[in-house]
Amino acid sequence: MPVVDVDPDELRRLTGHDEKDDDELRSDLFNLGLEFEGWTEDDEFQLEFAPDRLDRLSVEGVARSLRYQYGDDRGVYTPGTNHAEWVVEVEDTPPERPYVTAAVVRGLDMDDEALDSIIQLQEKLHATMGRQRAKGAIGVHDLTMLKGEAGVEGGGKSVRYTGIDPEGDTFVPLEGDQEMTPGDVVEGHHIGKEYADLVSDLDRVPAIYDAIGLFSFPPVVNGRRTEVSTGSRDLFIEMTGTDQWTIDHMLNIVCYALDARGGQVEEVRVEYSADAPGEYSGQQFVRPDLATKTKTVTHERIEQILGVEMDPEEVVDCAERAGLDARGDEDDDGAVSYEFDVPPYRVDVLHPLDVIDDIGRAYGFNTLEPEYPDVSTVGGRHERSRLEDAARDALVGLGFEDLLNFHMINEEENYERMEVEPGTDVLGAGDPVTIEQPYSEDYTMLRTWALPSVLMVLENNTHRAYPQDLAEIGLAAEIDESENTGVAEHRTVAGALARTDASYEDAKARLQTLAKAFGKDLETPPTDHPTFISGRAAEVVLDGESAGVIGEVHPKVLVEHDLELPVAAFEFRLDALE
Amino acid sequence: MKLPQAQAAVLRAADADEDRRIDEVAAEADLKPETATRAAFELEDQGLLTVSEETVESVELTEEGDRYVDESLPEQDLYTAAVDAGADEGPVSMGEAIGASGLEGGAVDIALSNYARKGYGVIDSGEITADPDATPGEDPEMFALEAVADGRPDDADADALDQLERRGLVERTETTVRSVRLTDDGVTELMAGVEVAETVGEVTPALLTSGEWEAVEFGEYNVEADAEQLQGGKEHILRQTANRVKDVLVGMGFQEMEGPHADAQFWINDCLFMPQDHPARTHWDQFALSNPEEIDHLPEDLVERVKSAHLEGVGPDGEGYHSPWDEDVARGIDLRGHTTSLSMRYLSGHQVGDLEPPQRFFSVEKVYRNDTLDPTHLLEFFQIEGWVLAEDLSVRDLMGTFTEFYEQFGITDLEFKPHYNPYTEPSFELFGTHPETGEIVEVGNSGIFRPEVLEPLGVDADVMAWGLSLERLLMLMYGFEDIRDVHGTLADLELLRETEVVY
Repeated sequence: MPVVDVDPDELRRLTGHDEKDDDELRSDLFNLGLEFEGWTEDDEFQLEFAPDRLDRLSVEGVARSLRYQYGDDRGVYTPGTNHAEWVVEVEDTPPERPYVTAAVVRGLDMDDEALDSIIQLQEKLHATMGRQRAKGAIGVHDLTMLKGEAGVEGGGKSVRYTGIDPEGDTFVPLEGDQEMTPGDVVEGHHIGKEYADLVSDLDRVPAIYDAIGLFSFPPVVNGRRTEVSTGSRDLFIEMTGTDQWTIDHMLNIVCYALDARGGQVEEVRVEYSADAPGEYSGQQFVRPDLATKTKTVTHERIEQILGVEMDPEEVVDCAERAGLDARGDEDDDGAVSYEFDVPPYRVDVLHPLDVIDDIGRAYGFNTLEPEYPDVSTVGGRHERSRLEDAARDALVGLGFEDLLNFHMINEEENYERMEVEPGTDVLGAGDPVTIEQPYSEDYTMLRTWALPSVLMVLENNTHRAYPQDLAEIGLAAEIDESENTGVAEHRTVAGALARTDASYEDAKARLQTLAKAFGKDLETPPTDHPTFISGRAAEVVLDGESAGVIGEVHPKVLVEHDLELPVAAFEFRLDALE
Repeated sequence: MKLPQAQAAVLRAADADEDRRIDEVAAEADLKPETATRAAFELEDQGLLTVSEETVESVELTEEGDRYVDESLPEQDLYTAAVDAGADEGPVSMGEAIGASGLEGGAVDIALSNYARKGYGVIDSGEITADPDATPGEDPEMFALEAVADGRPDDADADALDQLERRGLVERTETTVRSVRLTDDGVTELMAGVEVAETVGEVTPALLTSGEWEAVEFGEYNVEADAEQLQGGKEHILRQTANRVKDVLVGMGFQEMEGPHADAQFWINDCLFMPQDHPARTHWDQFALSNPEEIDHLPEDLVERVKSAHLEGVGPDGEGYHSPWDEDVARGIDLRGHTTSLSMRYLSGHQVGDLEPPQRFFSVEKVYRNDTLDPTHLLEFFQIEGWVLAEDLSVRDLMGTFTEFYEQFGITDLEFKPHYNPYTEPSFELFGTHPETGEIVEVGNSGIFRPEVLEPLGVDADVMAWGLSLERLLMLMYGFEDIRDVHGTLADLELLRETEVVY
């Protein structure tokens, strides 16, 4: 879940509520779904929240939500924008990162707080919507340090988003003091190294030029020339990425934040050349696009989801307190529906249902009375789970301690320590279902049988009182190409008797009783299984079907598990008891 | 009066004027000492005699002590060897003295430390001297050892005995000796005459078939005494808890689901409207499999509808995610990170056929997460998952259902904190009051499935769902602090055996 650091004084200033003390603010924030996690070193709130409202990744966005909550603001707010003076020309971009968007914001009074806030917002947007800069990366520049290339259509100023050979040009990167090529940056600059993976496969890397030269190497690092400082008043914000919608909306969130800081947003024209890669060749966009989007919902559906009756006025009021605009309309049958305008920073609203959630939050979900639904259904257990329980009860009745082991195990435990050769035709030798990136070398596959787990429990409990009669019914799995998932999963029944005089007969006596309890005819023809002593192992055949193995565990396996007394054991498929 | 045979015998053997030890009384009455002791206590309960206790110390040789009595103490051997080597006249090589003494291994250290302690001589810089005035032949520890060996521990010097105990050559044990003496009532009853009641120890087949049982009196047992501890089997604590949860859910009209643990990402994530570039999908939150890698078959029409929901959204003014969607990703096989994959399979109609509302389904099954192992997190745990399919469900229905469920486990005052999940809207984190500590704790996550989830599945009604981990419920209800003690191969058998049952 995202965490954002917010200075409570900034919050008081931006909301205009100087009278709120820290505790009140924390409680108001909690009601918004922002949980106080603790203080930062700089005495700021650390707030954690669910990753839907990404417009709250900065103190400005949090303050805006609070103002709606306090009723200071109502309905949709759209910042005013000045007409575009600057153009981004897009040509010869790397096809892996074809898209760009941009805006200018003028007249900012950049103090330390404002600078910290915009840096934080940039980082948090990178981490969330930007998918660690792969999907969208933000560059913020001091506009006064840019020199627009002349001669573009309309006489405006332009910068150029393009692609260059990694060694094709040089610039001085942020936190650097010498000219470097993009290739040098990726090799030798600390920020460059961190994001090297994003550009390492590219023949040509993204680059942004003005009349002076290369000033940004997205998504890796900006140039030092255009670095923003507390003295900066006018900003040029560009974003590049793999999805136009995503960077456009990241831009909207940044523009709203800077507008709240008193900045004047100015449009930028993005011109894709006719042969630019991606979906928008030859098209022109004016950004930021701060148009609202509309969702239509019926009054009936709102009442039905919330389970309460509401007046249309109440619905409109809740919507406005959520920062939406609402227009009710009654059709000929008297049914009311609404068009809701959703502001352009709301990246979480996909479906009209999301608007109903907003209304519910404004209404106060916790004021709703719980009601047990008047819906009747018949409950019941799955047959497999009933069978498993019945078998477990029978084993417990025979004195077995019921175990619960992990389904994940490793090859050594599952095969080697049991003397089983994978791929042979004995129980437990099935092909392993393997995990691509295991958490640790202890858990690399799903177990093909349960006795290895039971033996491990015996191994870990040699200091506990004997006899130890242990059993487990649980999942075992192996590769089976005839299955849709490629995995044959089944429940297996394993039992082991560890006692000074444990013998084959002790195990068979219990197996026999178990089989009889389920009305199954048990036969035990001799077999060979490397886990067991030759001549003291048998196949478990239930009602004529081979289902498992029983025997006295081989001393080699016992010694391997540090056991100093005999173990007689069995394992068979649970479904053989059906 | 009539008394059981053992009691009558003990009473007769007791004396009114002096304490008699129970072992003497038992010998005289021809009873086993424990039988006589039990009879004595029973007589004391009736006020016929008093039982007094005295603690007596006994001292016995250990195996090592026993060996030295027959031979000699190691330091004595060393002194003899040292003197033979001329150490009484000047320092000699320690190695030489030890070699001559025949001491080996641990005995060398024992000899050296005691040699110095007893002032037999000085050991310094690898050389040894022997004090000519020392008298190892009159060693008080040896005398004490011999006294203990002869059964005369009282003759042994007390300090020497302590020293022997420290050296592990003797062992002291304390035993309780009980004595009895007749009370006035006891004397009175004896004077009045005590008869032996005919008592029988065991009920035997012969006793029953012969009809003799009618004429006999059964000997009394000490019914309060502790009996042998039996080791029965027991269902695993988590299984018991799971069954408790299943009982509650079945009682509330829920049917149990079943399905694969290794499943396609399609069922685990894509049907749930989790974008393919969602951090939880790309950062190994779930275990992807290297074998098998891909599911063989997915229902084509469903794949198309799910893809369209991701890319275009559903409904006239719905929007999709602006994330890539690739069927190859959806075909990849993972260990399921939640059992919601089962809910998707059931709701799609591909598991048990089309479902008409109303329906309630649940599962309490294992899920797998690539999380950090700690006392409350395992790589595998049980997820409780439930959902209700019905026409026109409201948030209040959701609240009512979950309030009812949690109250069954003593978790009351449920609070619903609005939350965000990619697959539900509205969504709520559930908080409740801990039954023991009164703290407000998170107990689950819930919501109403989004249209982007339901429409592709072909569900034309509302579905509300919730989930929580069984382990969390277990820990809340029964105060377990480290889940690793019970789940997995590191489980402690003693803990499993001694854990109270759940009902």
